[in-house]
Amino acid sequence: MTAQLPPFLEVRQLRHCYSQPDGSRVEALSLDHMSAVGGEAIALVGPSGSGKTTFLHILAALIRPTHGEVLFGGRDIFAPRQAGAHWRAMSVGYIFQDMNLLPDFSAIENLLLAAEISNVSGPAATERANSLLRRLDLWNQRGRRPADLSLGEQQRAAVARAVIHFPSVILADEPTASLDAENAGIVMNILTELCAESRTLLIVATHDEAIKKRFARVLQLQRPRAAENPEPVLPEKAV
Amino acid sequence: MRFRTETRISLRHLSSRPFQTVAAAAVLALSSALAVILFLLTQGLRDGLIRAAEPFDLIVGAKGSPYQLVLNTVMLMDVPIGNIKWSGYAALSGDVRADFSVPLAFGDSYRGYPVVGVGDGILRIRRGASERKWLEIAEGRWFGDEFEAVLGARAAAESKLRIGDSFRTSHGVVLEDEHEALFKVVGIAARVFGPYDRAIFVNIGSIWKNHAHGDNNHSDGEDNEVTAVLVRPASYPDAYSLAVSFQSDAEKQLVFPAQTASRLFSLVSGGERFMSVIVYSVAVCSIFTTLLVLYWSNRDRRREKALLGALGASRGALAAISWLEGTFTLAIGALAGEALGRTGAYAAFRFLGGSTAIDISVPMTFKEATVPAVMFMAGSLGAFVMALAEKTGDAASLKRM
Ligand SMILES: Nc1ncnc2c1ncn2[C@@H]1O[C@H](COP(=O)(O)OP(=O)(O)OP(=O)(O)O)[C@@H](O)[C@H]1O
Ligand SMILES: [Mg+2]
Repeated sequence: MTAQLPPFLEVRQLRHCYSQPDGSRVEALSLDHMSAVGGEAIALVGPSGSGKTTFLHILAALIRPTHGEVLFGGRDIFAPRQAGAHWRAMSVGYIFQDMNLLPDFSAIENLLLAAEISNVSGPAATERANSLLRRLDLWNQRGRRPADLSLGEQQRAAVARAVIHFPSVILADEPTASLDAENAGIVMNILTELCAESRTLLIVATHDEAIKKRFARVLQLQRPRAAENPEPVLPEKAV
Repeated sequence: MRFRTETRISLRHLSSRPFQTVAAAAVLALSSALAVILFLLTQGLRDGLIRAAEPFDLIVGAKGSPYQLVLNTVMLMDVPIGNIKWSGYAALSGDVRADFSVPLAFGDSYRGYPVVGVGDGILRIRRGASERKWLEIAEGRWFGDEFEAVLGARAAAESKLRIGDSFRTSHGVVLEDEHEALFKVVGIAARVFGPYDRAIFVNIGSIWKNHAHGDNNHSDGEDNEVTAVLVRPASYPDAYSLAVSFQSDAEKQLVFPAQTASRLFSLVSGGERFMSVIVYSVAVCSIFTTLLVLYWSNRDRRREKALLGALGASRGALAAISWLEGTFTLAIGALAGEALGRTGAYAAFRFLGGSTAIDISVPMTFKEATVPAVMFMAGSLGAFVMALAEKTGDAASLKRM
């Protein structure tokens, strides 16, 4: 990365407010600036309600921020207006805490379907899926549906699915929260390995100190002022 | 994302929840089957009535209810209306406006099969506008002599009378007083697909002789009576001219049997419009029910849709998946409804077939398929609107994952 090139991913003056049913607005995220390059691995930390999930949703263009911009290679990911789905399909791999896989499709079908949505199909996709499944030790489980996989297997399959189309960014929202320490370690190892190999930017939201320690770079989010106000006591959301 | 992918996803969604899919399809299938059966029954009945009336252009009979005259003459049902004088027939057969006319005499029967005295002109009747003869001999020959008989196809099959057999007729339809004379079967008619398949055709002269009981005066013609006269008008204007001249007749009436039959049909069935109202109300209700079921199964899929959205499926793709799921379900329902309805109608007609005078059959026009087809299209449109209105792939449902 030379100095003349714009940063891989750049976030400017990001603010996000959710509108409540009663008309009031909750400020959920406030981040003045952040930039990152391909191959970097970042831990996203902060107290509950500090906007980690909100931030990842914005990066995935699942929600549009009320203020600020997200640039990828110098271009706004929200322009044109309908670009969000395309951005996700082509450049993003998203991993949730759980319920990552489509329940009606087998492990390998989950991988291939994600590839298809990202316009990767045919023998190349099958080849990639097979090699990922072998590498993630899921080869014997490839024909099983998620209900018949252990949580660790499900999360490994989710990792495989997130990387199958060689995304530029992988966003993981507490990907190991429902796993035991051993499985969490396995999943994190694979995830960081795969991202380093393909120079993919990895952002992992986490509460886990052990996981946070794995990352050279940590992005700390603060609870925005409005959310800190004691007057409207908002029920804490379980995420 | 290609349309093929969306199709595969929706088909998988449907096959993974077979019970839900079948339940949703069954709502539509059952109600469209009901609609199809009603439609086919009505159409079959009307077609049967019209087919029965088709060979008869005009009927002249004694003044009275035109329905009764048509029921007697076309359906061979009900007690015969009064008779008209032979001179009435003679006048018609001499009329230039009539191509030909055929005298008919009813009132006798053999074991419930109506014995119809006819003139030879009956063999000249054609089926509607076609060149095909209405009544043809399948076996044996047409009667020549008095006291010879030709059996209608069904009468022959059911009565077990054979060519060469003899039988005695009785007055009325119940076995009361048997007539003296023996009739000899000389032929069997081909099927006419109507009430006349149950008829036994005899020379009209035999009926008079049978009733005369030796009184020779009856056989000379002048004093004899006929129940009805079938008239083949020379042309359409002639038919109307004849109808007008019978309007002022104090003793006789002229009816257009096809018209009277379809009016009779409207009377007994409450009319097709009434049927359509029932059919379409059922259809509309079931479309709403099916859409409701689809709505709930779509709601059940919100997480999966949100996940697909997170994988990069566009809003349009997600809407397409929902719409396809609905459309496939509706298609299964509509096809099953058509198949079920036709099968039901066949069963109903089989069940009814033996007991009705008119020959009703399941029409081969597939007009009834418009009912499930319209239901399918309306439902699919509803599913389309629902799919567009659906909130899928939003971050809110992702948060709960
Ligand atoms: N859909 C929403 N509508 C209204 N408020 C919301 C919504 N989603 C999140 N919030 C609020 O926005 C704030 C940030 O939420 P967010 O889920 O991003 O936090 P988080 O850092 O991921 O928390 P956690 O560590 O508990 O997962 C919270 O106060 C939350 O209640
Ligand atoms: Mg969160």
